[in-house]
Amino acid sequence: MIDEFKHIVNVLARPYIMFPAMILAFVFIFPATDGLMKINRRMRLHRMWTKKGGLIIFAVLLAAFIFGLTDPNFRLIVTKPDNVPIVGLIFLVVFFLWLALSQAYENDARAEQGLKPNEAEDAKENILVWPDLVYIEFIAMILISALLIVWAVFLKAPLEQPANPTVSPNPSKAPWYFLGLQEMLVYFDPWIAGVLFPTVIMLGFMSIPFIDNNRKGLGYYTFNQRKMAISIFLFFWLILWIFLIVTGTFLRGPNWNFFGPFEYWDIHKLEALTNINLSEVFYMIILHQRLPSNILLRELPGILILLAYFTLTPLILAKTLLKDVYKSLGPFRYSIFIIFMLLAASLPIKMFLRWIFNIKYIIAIPEFFLNI
Amino acid sequence: MGLDERHYNITTLNKLFALSALLLLGTVGFLFFNDYSRKWKDYQNDFQNMEIEKTRVKYDGEMVRLNADPEYKKLQDDLKKAHDAYSTQCSPEKLKSATQAKNDLTAKSDIIKQQYRVTKAQFDAAKFHYEEDAANEHKDVKAAESHYQKLDQKTKELKLSSEKTDADLAVANKAIDDCGMALKEIERKDRALTKKAAILSRKLKKIDPNEMSLTNRVANLVRNLPVVDLANPTVKINQVVLKDIREDLNFLTMPKVDRCTTCHLGIANPDYKDAQQPLRTHPNLELYVSKDSKHPIEEFGCTVCHEGNGRATNFTGAAHTPSSPAQAKEWEEKYGWEKLHHWDRPMFSSPTVQASCFKCHAGQTTIAGAEKLNLGMNLIERAGCYACHNIDKYKEWPKPGPSLIHIASKTTSEWSYLWISDPKSFRHATWMPSYFGQPNNSDPASAARSRQEVHAIVHYLFSQSEDYQFKPLPTAGDVKKGEEIVSSVGCFGCHVFDPGNSRPVRDRAILKREQGPNLIGLGTKTSPAWIYDWLKDPQRYHPGSRMPDLRLSDPEAADVAAFLSQDKNSAFDKKSIPPVDEKVLNEIVLGFLKKTLTQSEAQEKLAKMSLKDKMAFSGKKLIAQYGCFSCHDIKGFEGYKPIGTDLNEEGSKTTDKFDFGFVQIDHSKEAWINQKIRNPRIFDIKKIKASDEKLVMPNFNFTQEETEAIATAVLGLVKEKPGKIKPRTPENIALERGEQIVREFNCQGCHIIEGEGGAIKDSVNDWLIKYQGKEKAEAENIVKTFSPPTLKGIGAKTQTQWLFEFIHQPEIVRPWLKVRMPTYKFNASHLNALVKYFNVMDKEEFPFTEHVNTALSPEETVAAQKMFSTEYFDCMKCHVVGDRLPSGTQDTWAPNLALVGKRLKPDWLIRWIKNPSAIDPTTKMPTFFDPSNYAESGPPDILSGDEDEQIRVLRNYVMSLSTLPLPSKATPEVPAILPAVEATAPESTPTSMPSNQTEEPQK
Repeated sequence: MIDEFKHIVNVLARPYIMFPAMILAFVFIFPATDGLMKINRRMRLHRMWTKKGGLIIFAVLLAAFIFGLTDPNFRLIVTKPDNVPIVGLIFLVVFFLWLALSQAYENDARAEQGLKPNEAEDAKENILVWPDLVYIEFIAMILISALLIVWAVFLKAPLEQPANPTVSPNPSKAPWYFLGLQEMLVYFDPWIAGVLFPTVIMLGFMSIPFIDNNRKGLGYYTFNQRKMAISIFLFFWLILWIFLIVTGTFLRGPNWNFFGPFEYWDIHKLEALTNINLSEVFYMIILHQRLPSNILLRELPGILILLAYFTLTPLILAKTLLKDVYKSLGPFRYSIFIIFMLLAASLPIKMFLRWIFNIKYIIAIPEFFLNI
Repeated sequence: MGLDERHYNITTLNKLFALSALLLLGTVGFLFFNDYSRKWKDYQNDFQNMEIEKTRVKYDGEMVRLNADPEYKKLQDDLKKAHDAYSTQCSPEKLKSATQAKNDLTAKSDIIKQQYRVTKAQFDAAKFHYEEDAANEHKDVKAAESHYQKLDQKTKELKLSSEKTDADLAVANKAIDDCGMALKEIERKDRALTKKAAILSRKLKKIDPNEMSLTNRVANLVRNLPVVDLANPTVKINQVVLKDIREDLNFLTMPKVDRCTTCHLGIANPDYKDAQQPLRTHPNLELYVSKDSKHPIEEFGCTVCHEGNGRATNFTGAAHTPSSPAQAKEWEEKYGWEKLHHWDRPMFSSPTVQASCFKCHAGQTTIAGAEKLNLGMNLIERAGCYACHNIDKYKEWPKPGPSLIHIASKTTSEWSYLWISDPKSFRHATWMPSYFGQPNNSDPASAARSRQEVHAIVHYLFSQSEDYQFKPLPTAGDVKKGEEIVSSVGCFGCHVFDPGNSRPVRDRAILKREQGPNLIGLGTKTSPAWIYDWLKDPQRYHPGSRMPDLRLSDPEAADVAAFLSQDKNSAFDKKSIPPVDEKVLNEIVLGFLKKTLTQSEAQEKLAKMSLKDKMAFSGKKLIAQYGCFSCHDIKGFEGYKPIGTDLNEEGSKTTDKFDFGFVQIDHSKEAWINQKIRNPRIFDIKKIKASDEKLVMPNFNFTQEETEAIATAVLGLVKEKPGKIKPRTPENIALERGEQIVREFNCQGCHIIEGEGGAIKDSVNDWLIKYQGKEKAEAENIVKTFSPPTLKGIGAKTQTQWLFEFIHQPEIVRPWLKVRMPTYKFNASHLNALVKYFNVMDKEEFPFTEHVNTALSPEETVAAQKMFSTEYFDCMKCHVVGDRLPSGTQDTWAPNLALVGKRLKPDWLIRWIKNPSAIDPTTKMPTFFDPSNYAESGPPDILSGDEDEQIRVLRNYVMSLSTLPLPSKATPEVPAILPAVEATAPESTPTSMPSNQTEEPQK
């Protein structure tokens, strides 16, 4: 019975099931538009951010971990001194998410009643740096020191054999904060995953003040007034960053294979990974002919699709879904905004293509080391 | 809001602060406690307490001994009296004036000396300034000069007065010293007598808190306090740093550091033999750890042999490895042990620790003290592991199995079929391993395939077999005579005749007697004609064979052939052979064809093949797959490379390089290798594999002990070469080469070399009882005389040239021996290596020695003849001389003296005549010159009783014997006249005793 349940969890944890499920859940939990917000309300998902909802979330999370710890494979991975901080990360991220959103929803409720946000009261109060701020910081420092000492005593750093540059550990994992980048390497060539995307992320951060012209929600928590901005941010933060770190830590095992949470990390596990390029799908599978020898002709479908993705999609979106956004931003800022969005969306899109259609590259020109 | 208003309640914050500060203090305290409560500190305290206890016991014992010693008692009384006398006579009151003077003078002397030191320093400075000024013609030179001279004067004066005071002081002291002279003398005696007790007492004062001074106790307490203990604590980590043995840090090496003695405190101390671990003494202090041993801990450390992490100071971190699951469980409970994954080379478990010897002693054939490793190596040699698995050590060894080039002349295809299918059914303990009926080919489909595979292999072998002409069998041969020859001539040095069904527990002695195959069932396997031909010249049939030629005459060989061929294995004869199944064979052939051809091409080719073609084709492929050619010479496989894994660095492989499959064993190298040797195909279990992908290592049916021994040897084959390997001197290399040949050709099957071997003795004993009618006790008494000689000291004893020729083509030294030194097909390289080996072993000059003049004057000859005669030493009572046999019974006979001139080294002969039992304690040679009274021991009437001269003359006489006429007196007592050693063709003599001396080595 329990074994069957664990098996189901292992199956559900497979990326091509879990990832869509998470995105689906995300859309409803963090509704970006008014329409979605209505569904959210109807499903009573907004109750997650009440005290009761928070307790239930925590209870479920804790119960899941406690149940998991009864399993030797799960216990082995989760209790590894290296991985313990990531367990902490899960709880802390959930807690602070709840904390922020519960205050945001409270303010939203006040706004509906025509009241000012809670923080408006705070603004009247002066708080002195000394002693109020410095004192509590000092106390926090002492408590953190105590925590770190106890942590260091109980979760020891091992004394290992001399490092051997000819033998790399399996799996070789990046530091936890880079696991998202490492995960991207599975789907993109290093120059995209390691150079282009990090650059785009930074440029994207820089452009936020110029794109975000919503003057609401300054100095107080709110969700309703900044639905789109918060949802986009949380999508990046929760799905493309935290989730990839957690996946990289707990679900990526030897040979960078995917393992369910209750699965034994068998170093010999084999997965059928025969990937094909888009050109092969187009010419060989659909048209039943051999690949053209001309590179440009061969890659034409991919080039067209990519061009369409970056030109047609913005146009269509500007007329349909993002009509309001286009209106408020204007053509120039809208272009910048949408290009960043499309670049960001290309990661999950590529992940799906890989998992479901075994697509290796949209454009594959190994002759020029250009693989996208 | 006023300034004194606070956002937080400050009292609450204060409380919170106090609490968190206390918490931090608590955690810091806990940190220290945790850091200081390390197990090794407890062990050091335990050791300290045991040390105190042991020292106290020793001290008490010493005191008891002293108190029982009357001398000590007397000395104590004397001491007391002397003390009394001193205090009455020499007390300060008595010697008032002298004491007073002494005190005054001492004070004065101290003052003057101090003044002198100050003035001398000023003088040196003044001298420097004066020199500078004078050299630079400074205007102050006058003043400097006068200052210098003034100080010079003053220094001299002070020195003078210092010397005078010292002289006065000496006078004053003498008066006092003289008075206490007697006491001092007694005190000196007391010190000498109680030296041991004093040392123990001093030690106790140092370590026992109850004996310590208060200052020391406080100091010990303080130096072990947290933080302060960075200076020089008593409880501390001990380590040895090994400059010559370096740790490989990948692209960098650094000295090995072993901290094992932090816990293993009694390791070098013999007092801790019965202590609990980790304080126990090393079990073999004579060889390891102690300063006087060959491997002192200061030079070799611990982990160079034991492996593990030498720097770790906790149980798990050091990578301890349990010897059994039971021990693992015990460790888990006792030490919280768990398997350490972060160390590639965990400690060897105690059953395999000898593997480490190989690192430095790789060239040796046997390593004294490493019995398990030696057994492992001998098993590898006998089983022929090196034939499939490349091992550099055995690069030059011959293939372990017989040649199959002429197999059709030796046996039948039916026999071969049954033999290959199941060798153990023919010979219960054969060294031919089993390829079929193993865990990965026993299912019905595989078994059906196996049956056809054997058919194909046998077909290939017999179709490729070359013609071979036997020498004609002269007579049918006499079985009874044959049996006697086999049991007497020396076959059992290398072979056994063991019809039993139980597998022998193989130790190294038994392995020497299994150099060749068990001789049972030969009648089933081959014909008398083949055996006869083989005995006459083994290398004609199989040029690489190590079987020597025993120089059997034709009738003797025929007798032996008759005897050996009458033993038949009827059960084996009755076994039936399954028919050839072309359908299965087709599959086999197709499988091989498809490797190089496409499916349809393969089908086409198969259709064109006849049954014989198919068998020949698949037979060759199967022989290549199973690697039969690695051990046997097979036509068509010349130049093929061995099929097994290279084992040269097997011990250095990391565990992840081994495929454990689905076998539930401990994931360690040791466990894997053991499992592999015990049951080689087991890692295929539950795996889906095509027939030609399956593991092919055959099963030798090794026992647990044998497996462990082989695993030990294999684990010893490592990459690293520590800086402490056995020195590569020419001597050591010569020894190693010699040992290797001795091992390869099994010299120790008959001879005792380096204290080992002589397994043939048991069969000689049996022969004495069965064929000579001796009683058991008597046989045991005389068996040494009838066994091949020990080769201890052979290098010192025999002349190099003679030894070379003897090993090359033996001649008869001991005519009464039935066992024969066989003729080996040694080449010059072998012979030179062996002769060098024997000489180097005895530290003899090699190859040339100085000439010793053995000429005799006529008077000396007369004297020598007298000593040689029955009147004196009666040498011919025991010794054979040329063709004259001694007068006594055979069991008292001694070597042929006619050969001494060219055989023995003159210096050795002097030592031998002088005191034979000093060279060989078990010799029958009488000691004519009593070593305890050497000067009077010789006959006084010969050469004016000069023993050295007598021995020299006797030596010279014996060495000339082959050329001098024999003393006339001896002639009538000779019981029989033997034909000359190198006369008469061997064929013409009967097979009884004298034939031994008459045969001529085959050229």
